[in-house]
Amino acid sequence: MTYITLKDVTFTYPGKTVPAVKNVSQHFNPGEQVAITGLNGSGKSTLARLMVGLLSAQSGIVHLQGKPVKQYSLAERGRKIGFVYQNPSQMLFNNTVFNEAAFGLKWRGVKKEEVMARCRELLQYFNLWHLREEFPFNLSEGQKQMLVLASILALKPDFLILDEPTKSIDTEGKKKLKEILLDIWRQGTGTIVISHDREFIQGLNRRSLHMIEGEVRENEGRREN
Amino acid sequence: MKVDVRTKMLVVVVFSLLALIYQNPRILGILLALNLLVLALFRVNFLLLRGFKGFVFMFSGLIVMQSFFVREGEPLWQVGEAVLLTTGGIYYGISILLRFLVLACSALLMAGCDPQELVLALVKMRVPYEVAFMIQLGIRFMPVMFEELQNIINSIQLRGVDMRKVYRRKILRFYTNLFSPLIYSVWQKTEKLAILLEMRGFRSSPERTYYRDIVLTRTDYLVMGVVLTSAFVFVFAVRGL
Ligand SMILES: Nc1ncnc2c1ncn2[C@@H]1O[C@H](COP(=O)(O)OP(=O)(O)OP(=O)(O)O)[C@@H](O)[C@H]1O
Ligand SMILES: [Mg+2]
Repeated sequence: MTYITLKDVTFTYPGKTVPAVKNVSQHFNPGEQVAITGLNGSGKSTLARLMVGLLSAQSGIVHLQGKPVKQYSLAERGRKIGFVYQNPSQMLFNNTVFNEAAFGLKWRGVKKEEVMARCRELLQYFNLWHLREEFPFNLSEGQKQMLVLASILALKPDFLILDEPTKSIDTEGKKKLKEILLDIWRQGTGTIVISHDREFIQGLNRRSLHMIEGEVRENEGRREN
Repeated sequence: MKVDVRTKMLVVVVFSLLALIYQNPRILGILLALNLLVLALFRVNFLLLRGFKGFVFMFSGLIVMQSFFVREGEPLWQVGEAVLLTTGGIYYGISILLRFLVLACSALLMAGCDPQELVLALVKMRVPYEVAFMIQLGIRFMPVMFEELQNIINSIQLRGVDMRKVYRRKILRFYTNLFSPLIYSVWQKTEKLAILLEMRGFRSSPERTYYRDIVLTRTDYLVMGVVLTSAFVFVFAVRGL
């Protein structure tokens, strides 16, 4: 069964005349690896928000594991899909870096030792462990981005949707992020990476989609399974 | 009818005061009817009322609580020995709801007005410009803050945490989580704004020029007169109720 299905999805922001996403039909299978590219304003972020049900399409349907996304609560969707916004600061809301990474696991009742172990591993991996007592808002932009990625990765979702994950991350960080994305993909996690960074998506684009003015073109050439 | 901001302010103040003075649901009901009439006269878009949807839920909860805790009047609902609902409780519940509705509806009168005109009006009423400016900023930042709050709520749930299922015991800690980033970001925004204002010479001279001016016309004085007179008439008319 496909994991996320979009059928003829069209979405127009309120007050706009031109749709931001136009007649998009796509299937995303469990464990798939997809890269989405496109110019600024071509509708990539909008498409991502539609897939998680943060926006509702005016026409067409979005299904998650065979049911309309909206039939799941946002928390249920969050447990299935790890979604990282283009602006990571909007996703920070804890008082320390460690609590930020641990938040989801803690409130879900995962055992303390396990929360500790998983967060420690991730924070160390992203070079944030020495900052664990810091206030997340006081981190540098790149550090914030990595912290959000760590706090989503800690949840081990079935599918990851990352919107411009490398925006302010340095070369070292990008390399690490790519490695971890490949790693979890090999373990069966689906990944959808939206990016302008050609170098970064090399190797993360088993399937590659290109968006032009709200429409999705499949890059046939790169379709190799 | 096109009236000055100050006239609208007067109307809002009069209605709010009357709503706070009275507790009798019948009087508050009449007040609400009058209020709606005034809103219609001023051509306020009633669709704006939809903005209160969220509050209605909260208030219904409050009313139910009130009804259960006020132990006056005749018992209406009894389970064994325990009286669960009384006429007194219902009475208070309804009066609170009506009072809230009057306050909300009269505030709606200000919803459509230009924040800049509001500042001008306040300045003309001898409110210090700094204070007036603060009020204007407050109004302008309100939607931004709501958006940010919504963002935090979404982010929390996107971490797979269902806010409706958080244990009672921990709810306080949960809400601190919600509001601390909000307060922080507001504080950060104000700091940035303060620097920006200073850089552009805000208040470097005690006088400021206003491009726009607001004047009280004859209609305004007429409306104000009618409102005040009606308020007195209302006070006398409802004495017997
Ligand atoms: N909140 C919004 N309200 C109204 N219009 C919006 C909103 N967000 C985006 N848009 C419009 O929708 C279109 C698609 O925007 P979107 O953010 O999806 O683009 P994008 O492909 O993610 O671009 P970028 O590469 O810059 O992130 C743009 O034309 C934009 O102006
Ligand atoms: Mg985008």
